[in-house]
Amino acid sequence: MRFFLLIALTFFFTTPAAALVVDQDTVWDGQHSFSEDVQVLAGATLTVLPGSQLHFSGARLEVSGRLVAEGAEFSGENWEGLRLKGVDNTTRITDCVIKGAATGVFVLGGGPQLEGMILSANKVGMEVRGKAAGKVTRCRFTGNLKVGLFIKDDSTTSVVDCRFEGNLRYGVYLYHARPQMFQGNQFVNNDTGLMIAYHGTDPEVLDNRFEENTIAVQVDRAARPVLRGNLLLGNQTGFYIYRRSDPLLTGNRIEENGVGLLIAYSSYPEVESNDFMSNEIAVKLEFQSSSWEAKRGADARAGETSARSAFAGQGMRSVSEEDRRAKRLDGMVNAGDNWWGREGTLELASIGPDGNPSFIHDGRDQTTFVDEGEEYPLDKVAHSPWRKDPATEIER
Amino acid sequence: MNNVFLKYPCLLLLLLGGLLSACTPENGSGLSGQLLFQDQPLATAQLEIYLKADKDRSVQPFAVTTTDAEGRYQVSLPEGSYFVIGKKRETTDDGRTRMLMAESPANPHQVADRIAPVASFNLREMGREGLPVADEKTGVAGLITYQGEPVSRSFIYIYTETDAGLIGPSYGEAVQADQNGRFTINLPVGRYSLVARKRADGSRSGALSPGDLNAAYPGNPVEIRSGEILALNTFALTRVDAEVHALRQAEGVFTKTETLLRGQVVDADDLPVSDVYVFAYLDSRMVGKPVHMSVPTGADGSFSLFLSDGGTYYIGARSAFGGPLEPGEWVGTFDGQADHSVTVTRGANDDLGTIIVKEFW
Repeated sequence: MRFFLLIALTFFFTTPAAALVVDQDTVWDGQHSFSEDVQVLAGATLTVLPGSQLHFSGARLEVSGRLVAEGAEFSGENWEGLRLKGVDNTTRITDCVIKGAATGVFVLGGGPQLEGMILSANKVGMEVRGKAAGKVTRCRFTGNLKVGLFIKDDSTTSVVDCRFEGNLRYGVYLYHARPQMFQGNQFVNNDTGLMIAYHGTDPEVLDNRFEENTIAVQVDRAARPVLRGNLLLGNQTGFYIYRRSDPLLTGNRIEENGVGLLIAYSSYPEVESNDFMSNEIAVKLEFQSSSWEAKRGADARAGETSARSAFAGQGMRSVSEEDRRAKRLDGMVNAGDNWWGREGTLELASIGPDGNPSFIHDGRDQTTFVDEGEEYPLDKVAHSPWRKDPATEIER
Repeated sequence: MNNVFLKYPCLLLLLLGGLLSACTPENGSGLSGQLLFQDQPLATAQLEIYLKADKDRSVQPFAVTTTDAEGRYQVSLPEGSYFVIGKKRETTDDGRTRMLMAESPANPHQVADRIAPVASFNLREMGREGLPVADEKTGVAGLITYQGEPVSRSFIYIYTETDAGLIGPSYGEAVQADQNGRFTINLPVGRYSLVARKRADGSRSGALSPGDLNAAYPGNPVEIRSGEILALNTFALTRVDAEVHALRQAEGVFTKTETLLRGQVVDADDLPVSDVYVFAYLDSRMVGKPVHMSVPTGADGSFSLFLSDGGTYYIGARSAFGGPLEPGEWVGTFDGQADHSVTVTRGANDDLGTIIVKEFW
C-alpha cells in the first residue's frame, strides 16, 4: 500500500506564500494568502478544511490532481480563480464561496462534483468546457459580471437545483453543450436568465423557474432545445426564440410577462400544451416571415457571419444551410393545443378559429414589415385548436 | 483577386492547367522544395497549395504543380501564408493502386518577396482510413511510465518527419495507451520518432500546459523491420515545468525584437480591455497562424507586438488564439487602414494607437 505523506498546515493568521506546487497529499486549514499560482499535481490531493480562507493576489489555484474542499472561502484581488483540469468525480467542492475572480471555477474536462457553492462577483462564475461531465448542484451564482455559468464545448455537466440571481449578462449560457440534466433551477433578476445558442445546443430544460428577468430564456442561432415544465413569471420577455431556432416548448406555464413568447427572424418553434396566463402579450412575431426566409434568409446569415468574423474567415463554428432549413415555410407558426387563460379562452370562443386574438401580435395585426426597402408579409400564429383547461399543474 | 492575376499572370495559367512550373514569375516569390518517398526523390507527384489548414480545407487548391524527375518543384505565389500537400496516385509493380500523401510538417509556409525553401518531406502510403498501411505483425510496443508508475491513457504520437521538432499536428498517427500504460502500434517498415503526452484534461491535441506529462522517446528514431514488433524500453514521461514552459512561451511568436508596434486595446467606450492578444499576419486574409503575437494586454489594455522584420502586417486582436470564435470573446482589428494593415520599417518602435474590440456573444 502506497504511503501518503499528510501535511497539515494550520494557520491562525495570514501567511504570505510564494509559488507552490502541491505534489503530495496536503491539508490546508485557517487563513492563507498567495501571490503566485498554486498547482496541485496529478496524484496529489489537496484537502481544504471548513472555515479556511484562501486569498489570492493575481494568481490561481490549478488542480490536476484532486481537490476536496468544504465550507471554505476562496477570494482575492485580480485573481484568476480555480482551474480544475481533467479532475474526476473524487474532486468535490462543497459549500464553498468563490468571489472576485476572472473565472470563479474553470472546469476543463473531467467530472468534478460541485455542490452548494456560492459564486459571486466574478467576471464569469463558472466555465465548463473540454467535454466535461460532473454535476453542479445547489449552487448560487449571484452578481457575476458577465455569465453565472458558462457551459461549452460538448460538455454534459448536470445543473440541478441551482439559483442564478442578478448576473449582469447571462445567468447560464449553453454553447455547443448538452447538460445531462438541467432541472429544478431558479433564475431571478438576470439580464438574460438562460441563453441557449448555436446549432448543436439541444438540451432538455426541465422544471425550472424564471422570475423577473429581462429575458427569461433566449434560444438563438439554430439551437433546438426542448423546454418543458418551466414556470416563467413576471419577466419582461418570457421565451425569446431568435434567428432560425426551432425549439419544442411544451408543458410550460408562462404568466404575467410583458411578452410571453417572442419569435423573430425565421424561427419556427413547436408550441403546444403550454399555459399562457395574464401576459401583456402572449405571443408576438417580430421580423418573422416565411417569404423573407425563402428569399433572403441564407444570404443574410452569410453576410452576418462575414461581418462578425474576427479576421475574415476565422469566425464562429458554422452550420450549413441544410441544417438550418425550416421544415416548412407556409407563413404560419404552430401554437395549437395551448391554454390561453380564462379570458383568452372566452375571447377565442367569441371570435372563432379565424379571428384575431387581442393577445397575439402577428400578421393579422401588422401585415408587413420592411427590410432593405422591400415589404415582406409577417407570419401568423395558428392558435386553433385551443385547450379549454390548463395544460399544466405547475404552481407559482 | 484580379490584381493578383495581373501581377502574376502565370498564376492564372497554373489554376487553369497546372503549368506554372514552366513559366517565370515577375518577382520570383513562391515556394520550392523536393518530395520524397522512402527517402528517395518522387517524380511526377502532385504538389497542392492551400490557403487554409486541413480542418478548414473544403475548396480546390489555390495552386497545383508537379514534381520533376528529381522530385523537385517550384511554384510561384503572391505574398501570403500557404499549406503544402504532396500527393501521388500510382500503380505498383504487382498491379496494386496506392495513394501516397503527406502534408509539409512545417505548414504553414510564409511567402514574402522571394522563393522560400520548403524542407524535403516523405509521402506515406495511405490506408483506407488515411493512416499508413501496416501489417499486424510489424510495429512497436511499450509501456508509458511516470516516476516509475504506469501512466494510463496517454497518447503516443508517431512522427515520420522531425523538421517541425516533434511538435504540432504533423504526426502520422496518434494512439492511446491502455489503462495500464501499455501500447502496441502496427506500423509499416520504416524509421519513426515517438513522442508520448498526457494532458491533464485528457485531450488528444492542443498546447501543453504546466503539469502535463511529456517526453520524446530517448531512442528516437526507431527502426521498424518487417514481421517484428519492436519492444521498447520503458518510455518515461516528465512533467512540464512551469518555469520552462514560461520561458518557451517567451520564445517563438512572442520573441522580443528590435521592431515593435505598441498601442492600447479598448472597448467601444474607450475603456482598456485586458487579456487580449494582438496578432500580426502577413496574409491580408488574416487566416491560419499569425507570424507574431503579443502577450495578453494588461489591466491598462496596453500591448507590445514584436516583429521579426519590417514590412506590411495585418493586425487583429482577440481574447484567445486558435480555434473558432466563442461567445464572450473580445475581438477586433486595427482600423487605421481599411484592410487592417500597417507598414513598418525595420527597427521601428511605432505607436498604433488604439484597437477597438467588441465582445462577441
